[in-house]
Amino acid sequence: MEKETHQNIESIIEAGKMNELRKLLIGLSHEELERLQKLLNDPHEFSNEISSLLPYAIRKMVERGEISVDSLLPFVEESMHKSIQKNPQKLADILFPVMGPAIRKAVSEDLKRMIASINASLESGFSFRSLKWRLQAFTSRRSYAEIVMANSYLYHISNVFLIHKDSGILLHEASAPESKALEADLIASMLTAIRDFVQDSFSNAEKGTLDEIQFGSLKILIEQGPYAVLAVVAEGQPPADYRVTLMETIEAIHFNLGLELEKFDGDTEYFKLADKFLQQCLIKQKKEKKQKAPYQLIFLLLLLIAGVGYFVLINYENKANFKRFITELEATPGYHISSSRMSFNKIYLKGLVDPLAEPVEEIMKRFQKIEPGTLQASFEGYLSTEPEILQRRAGLLLSPPEGVEMKIENNRLIISGTAAADWEQNLELKIAAIAGITGFDISGLNKKITDLQWIIPSIERHRFLFDINVVKLDSLQQIQFDSLVQAAVFLDAYNQLYSRNMAIYVRSYTNRNGNVAANERVATARAEGFITLLENAGVKKALLKSQVLFAEDLRETVSLRTVHFSVFDNKPISR
Amino acid sequence: MIKKKIAMLGAFAVGKTSLVQQYVHSIFSDKYQTTIGVKIDQKQITVADQDITLMLWDLYGDDDFMKMKPTYLIGASGYILVADGTRSETIEVALQLQEMAAATTNNAPFLLIINKSDLSETWEIAPETILRMQQKGWIVLLTSAKKNLMVEEAFQKLASLMLNPY
Ligand SMILES: Nc1nc2c(ncn2[C@@H]2O[C@H](COP(=O)(O)OP(=O)(O)OP(=O)(O)O)[C@@H](O)[C@H]2O)c(=O)[nH]1
Ligand SMILES: [Mg+2]
Repeated sequence: MEKETHQNIESIIEAGKMNELRKLLIGLSHEELERLQKLLNDPHEFSNEISSLLPYAIRKMVERGEISVDSLLPFVEESMHKSIQKNPQKLADILFPVMGPAIRKAVSEDLKRMIASINASLESGFSFRSLKWRLQAFTSRRSYAEIVMANSYLYHISNVFLIHKDSGILLHEASAPESKALEADLIASMLTAIRDFVQDSFSNAEKGTLDEIQFGSLKILIEQGPYAVLAVVAEGQPPADYRVTLMETIEAIHFNLGLELEKFDGDTEYFKLADKFLQQCLIKQKKEKKQKAPYQLIFLLLLLIAGVGYFVLINYENKANFKRFITELEATPGYHISSSRMSFNKIYLKGLVDPLAEPVEEIMKRFQKIEPGTLQASFEGYLSTEPEILQRRAGLLLSPPEGVEMKIENNRLIISGTAAADWEQNLELKIAAIAGITGFDISGLNKKITDLQWIIPSIERHRFLFDINVVKLDSLQQIQFDSLVQAAVFLDAYNQLYSRNMAIYVRSYTNRNGNVAANERVATARAEGFITLLENAGVKKALLKSQVLFAEDLRETVSLRTVHFSVFDNKPISR
Repeated sequence: MIKKKIAMLGAFAVGKTSLVQQYVHSIFSDKYQTTIGVKIDQKQITVADQDITLMLWDLYGDDDFMKMKPTYLIGASGYILVADGTRSETIEVALQLQEMAAATTNNAPFLLIINKSDLSETWEIAPETILRMQQKGWIVLLTSAKKNLMVEEAFQKLASLMLNPY
């Protein structure tokens, strides 16, 4: 039995050896061999391999009472330390996804709550901007107040926590007036738990201390002191030197409350004294001021450019307008511009103007850009000889009736058309009185024969005074005579036109002094002589009749040697 | 205002989280959701006319005590060791954890809670075991997070121990 057993054992051993050998010869791959080799040569790798077995082995030993936990602890602690040092990320990867969100939730929910409390004050104001933020809040599912905070401030420190370093107990807290942290104690503990976790995971480096945690736009800045930690909740990016503020604050707190911190046993009463230090960490920077300034500047600049541009344009336009106005003025009949200039939107003019020229105000009306008040003109009157003005002047002085045309050619007045004969009376004299007209031509003017109204007076108004026994016209009388002849020709034309038999008494006067018969003879001869003159001038004989009148028979006094005329209806034409 | 940090230690699934939830929020769930890392709650109580805020650090449980890092225990003014009355090995874990905790907390006051006292059929802890620990000077309490038995008393007891260690 014993032998059998022995044999059995031996065969097992044998088999084991063979097995081993076989494994060595054929079973073991090259890589496995290399791994074993490396394991034996590299103590680091070797310890690694063993460390995975060690916990089990130690556990067994402890169970059997072979070693005590006390003796093991330093070693365990060190090996844990090493293991974490070696690959802290692995642990972090496992824990952080769970811890991170939990802490984030606690912090952000708390912030949400405190922000909600200021909602009321913020929501009272309404503007386009607030509407935009409301939309943002609606679309991003963040609370309106959060959006307001994020948008209003470049950065904004809402809470400052002074935390006991070891226990994570909140010693004191300060919050911005518009915010209120309800669960600051929890946040402080959670932050400490995170820090512990990070420190456990990255214990190798001193700089492995956690000094910043970011959740979206929220940021928690942590400043470590020997006994206490300062943690601030920031929205946005605080200025770079804010770290220095935090450092100075935690230093000041340690300086002032060092003993209390060292001996801290849960009583937070003393740390109310730290309030003034925490308050100075509550800073914020309004966004608008910083951001709006350049916009305002740009806007002002644009306004300035636009203003200058407008001024330049207006000035240019004014100048161009002014030039056109002057050109127009110079081209206008009756104006003679001697000097013109424009300054500060005012126009100064000097020159001569004909009274009949178009008023300067009327010309200005055609230039809308020139205000009526902008003109300072000093004009002197003069008589223009420009055709338009001459024509206007002739028109004013002669007031031609309808049907009469007047034009100026080389300063001569050309009149044509048909006019009543009375308008034509003394026309030549009137024309001679028009300044600037050097001659005239009225050959194109036809007389209108209408009735006797104008013919009779134009005959009867003539008076001729002669010397005794002489019937002879001097040069002056000749003009009168021509006019009379013309009137007589009209009377003849009238007779023919209306089948009348109007005639002219050529009257000569005498008195009954002395030889009445002789007197009468002389007077008759004078009348007859005058008729001969008229006949010679082309007046029909049938139109003329001599008549002698005695002064004593007349009511008015007449000069005895004069010849007068009187139109009378001779007789009806018999058919 | 007095504030104290208290840590909950013990093997996994012994009921650490359940005890804290019952104590702080008066809720209990049969569903087991293991704690990863640490879960922190707070509770305000009055002990001997003294207002105290307890910061309760509910740590993850692990039978492999080597993985248990002492960092979370630093600064704790007291701690509660929790064991599961239906699993005797959790007492062992509690014992081991106590040694580490004592060192880390500089011998802070603590109690041992043997939880799930409502499960009498599957109870595994012999009275002698409890007696042995009490003889070491430990305070041992039987609790039920589910039935809310002795839960508040346990925390109250620890709080008074912390305020008055002697
Ligand atoms: N019957 C009974 N069940 C309990 C009691 N306390 C806890 N449980 C149950 O035990 C399980 C574990 O409870 P937890 O509170 O999550 O245990 P834990 O110690 O926090 O576990 P870890 O976080 O994983 O370490 C859950 O299913 C609980 O419902 C109790 O007093 N009585
Ligand atoms: Mg738990």
